[in-house]
Amino acid sequence: MAYNVLIVDDSATMRALIRKILVISGFDIGEYFEGANGLEALGILEHNWVDIILSDLHMPEMDGAALVQALKKHEMWRNIPVVLITTEARPEVIKPFMNLGVQDYIQKPFRPETIRRKLTGILGEAQTPDASEIESCDF
Amino acid sequence: MLAKLKAATFEVLETMFYLFPESLEEGEILRSRGPFLRSSVVIAGPQSIRIGLQVPESLARKMAANFLGITEAEISQPEMEDILKETSNMLAGSFLSKLEASAAFKLQTPLVQWLSVEEQKKKEPEKNLRFEVEEEVLELFVEKG
Repeated sequence: MAYNVLIVDDSATMRALIRKILVISGFDIGEYFEGANGLEALGILEHNWVDIILSDLHMPEMDGAALVQALKKHEMWRNIPVVLITTEARPEVIKPFMNLGVQDYIQKPFRPETIRRKLTGILGEAQTPDASEIESCDF
Repeated sequence: MLAKLKAATFEVLETMFYLFPESLEEGEILRSRGPFLRSSVVIAGPQSIRIGLQVPESLARKMAANFLGITEAEISQPEMEDILKETSNMLAGSFLSKLEASAAFKLQTPLVQWLSVEEQKKKEPEKNLRFEVEEEVLELFVEKG
């Protein structure tokens, strides 16, 4: 099963990097969306289904905290998991976001296996049939 | 403090850039050709400091290429600047985590500037660490914020 991913970061370079790392990690991506801040992210959600959001903390216009608060108020979006991708991992900084309902966080710098482990932990491994299941199928 | 900054540097360069720095001893000479890119971020708090790094353009280009997984020829100037800003941001974040600094210390927006060889010579940070990376010099500095 492929998952639709929304990446929210004001740096286009960072968005490209996160996308590259996601691909390298082998995480099964369906559609891929990106926004430069929380407002753009909400605009994307108006027209598209997203399974998980990877968001920066500090962004102009609408930052990560305001984005999470807006999501939690919305009936359709409140259960979309949000993972922060941040340079900040001090408990005092992260805890308020976890209290807002953020699912998890990934501290930069990070490796592909870290992002895969975190995302599959939240969404579950893609269900692909193994060889014995394929052989036993009646076509 | 410098030991933690050094550890943060190794972590960021190795994880995100696949680059393996080696510390240069005081007095050890290794010259890099400019222009240089200097990126820094202020850690605001009870005692504000600015930490950052300075690299020659050739190393900034290599870092950007490794970071994005594309060739050096494809790297634009804004991408180099973005990546240097992101690097100083990650360094500062990793440094704060290693220090277990309180939430009173906050990261500000990272900045980047180009320096000519002459401008680079005038910069004399209070404390610095120098590394050899791919036969170029990466300089890390700490100043009052």
